[in-house]
Amino acid sequence: MELFELPAWTALAPALLLALTAMALFIIDSIAPDSRNSGLLAGTTAAGSIVSLGVAVWYLLAGVGTPTVDGGRGVIDVLGDQFVVDQLALFFMIIVAVVTALVAVASYDYMEDHTYQAEYYSLVLLAATGMSFMAAANSLVTIFIALELASLPSYALVSILKDNRGSVEGGLKYFLIGALSSAIFVYGISLVYGATGHLQLTNIAEVVEAGDADPYGGLLGLGILMLIGGFAFKTASVPFHFWAPEAYEGAPAPIAAFLSSASKAAGFVIAFRVFTEAFPVGETASAIGVDWTLAFIILAIVTMTLGNFAAATQNNVKRMLAYSSIGHAGYALIGLAGISAGGGELVMGAAMMHLFVYGFMNTGAFLFVALAEYWGVGRTFEDYNGLGRRAPVACFALAIFMFSLAGIPPLGGFWSKYFLFTGALEAGLLVVAAALVVNSALSLYYYTRLVKAVWIEEPVTERDALSQPIGLYAAIVVAAVMTLALLPLFGPVADTAVDAATAMLA
Amino acid sequence: MTVGVEHYVLLSMALFAIGLFGILTRRNALMFLMSVELMLNAANINLIAFAFYHGNLSGQVFALFTMALAAAEVAVGLGIILLLYRNFRDVDVTVPTTMRW
Repeated sequence: MELFELPAWTALAPALLLALTAMALFIIDSIAPDSRNSGLLAGTTAAGSIVSLGVAVWYLLAGVGTPTVDGGRGVIDVLGDQFVVDQLALFFMIIVAVVTALVAVASYDYMEDHTYQAEYYSLVLLAATGMSFMAAANSLVTIFIALELASLPSYALVSILKDNRGSVEGGLKYFLIGALSSAIFVYGISLVYGATGHLQLTNIAEVVEAGDADPYGGLLGLGILMLIGGFAFKTASVPFHFWAPEAYEGAPAPIAAFLSSASKAAGFVIAFRVFTEAFPVGETASAIGVDWTLAFIILAIVTMTLGNFAAATQNNVKRMLAYSSIGHAGYALIGLAGISAGGGELVMGAAMMHLFVYGFMNTGAFLFVALAEYWGVGRTFEDYNGLGRRAPVACFALAIFMFSLAGIPPLGGFWSKYFLFTGALEAGLLVVAAALVVNSALSLYYYTRLVKAVWIEEPVTERDALSQPIGLYAAIVVAAVMTLALLPLFGPVADTAVDAATAMLA
Repeated sequence: MTVGVEHYVLLSMALFAIGLFGILTRRNALMFLMSVELMLNAANINLIAFAFYHGNLSGQVFALFTMALAAAEVAVGLGIILLLYRNFRDVDVTVPTTMRW
């Protein structure tokens, strides 16, 4: 027994710290409303998210979520099981905190001239708070509230460049599709509630397992289908993916990085939790007459194919990355497609690993776009030609991100895809595994095209020496170093992910 | 004839369908927002009817949360629509097409 035991609610500290930092920014802003001290604001944001990251890592190392029989502290539930803090939650809280910190540091330069600095950073933190709570939410009520807490600031962040038509257009499309999908999501929740009489995931599972929901199978099935719609929006998967290219292209590039990495990961964590905890595969299939994994098999194949084919045809780098992020959502969906009544730990763990690696490599790639926008070199592949000679460090980092995204061994992106592949084979999903390989091969084309433009092609016009904004450079270098550091560190990450998946599926 | 839970579900499904139809056909951003409200309220009717049917209150309480969230969503949405009007001089959602897929 420990001498000093923290109260249960402190298990949510990673999320609460993000909220607290947002409040601190409000206070700073109300003391000095006209100040545009971006160093202070970005520093506070980064510090808050790093502390949140540290606490989440500490909890994970201290054994929160590890079963007590293995010497851990077990799963901690807060507010009468409305939130649970287990390995899955901590794993995704870490991803959210890392991406938030990187984005905050990069925004120091990118948003330097923006009039509403404090608003920007506090919105980022509030969205991050929502994503962090999504990781721990354990009832459809808290899931929906956390999802909206993540979404509403995101709409505002995408359209924060108020005089930029692209930003407003992206924000509008993001908002319209987001509002529609949250309406569908909440209707799905109401149908699931109607079929089972509960909103808490564990209680729903009890009703489903006891077979009490069988008479309402149609209602339950429709509800589950609508819930999938909500997850598809948040993770930018088919059929609610079409906001992503517009929103990412129009949004300030650090926000595009934030949404495509952290927001996508948060969307996946609620999907993992809802489908593993509330709707156990076998019993749900007997209630609704069809396996819900079938929906994810179809969505995974369609999403990754659509994302990669569309990305291959793009001329605009940011749009290419946006479609590639849809493709990666398709890869991560394999984690849900591969779950079966008796297994799926490996494939779900692999999806978590992929989202973890993706948090670094994709954030880094979008931050490179932010750097290019900061330089004002233009948006297409041709505009990036020959940047390698002017900014070798950043372009070297870009090459790492691109090769990792494409899944070239021995980078982190290869290992997570490898585990997804073996997991899919283990689950007997040959078509999905084949689609993964074909799409990865295709993605190599457009990722190397960018590396080639930057390193090999001659610049179209001669350009002057490029500035070296310290924040953007620091964020890109950290992301690149972490992408490389995941080579030796991949073992512990993989172990944690598979442990978390095993605990969820147990 | 008593009003059973199935009547409420039919009402809410009709409301949901009307909202969805509005979203698919209307071009005015404000009408779009109103249609989304209809869909959210359809879910609220369901939640309250099912709460009565199952005899627990969690559905009703959740309906209150949904209303609060809908209000917050409209606040953000109206802000974005205001920006839309300032930049494009219109609230037609088909007008902003600076980006194409």
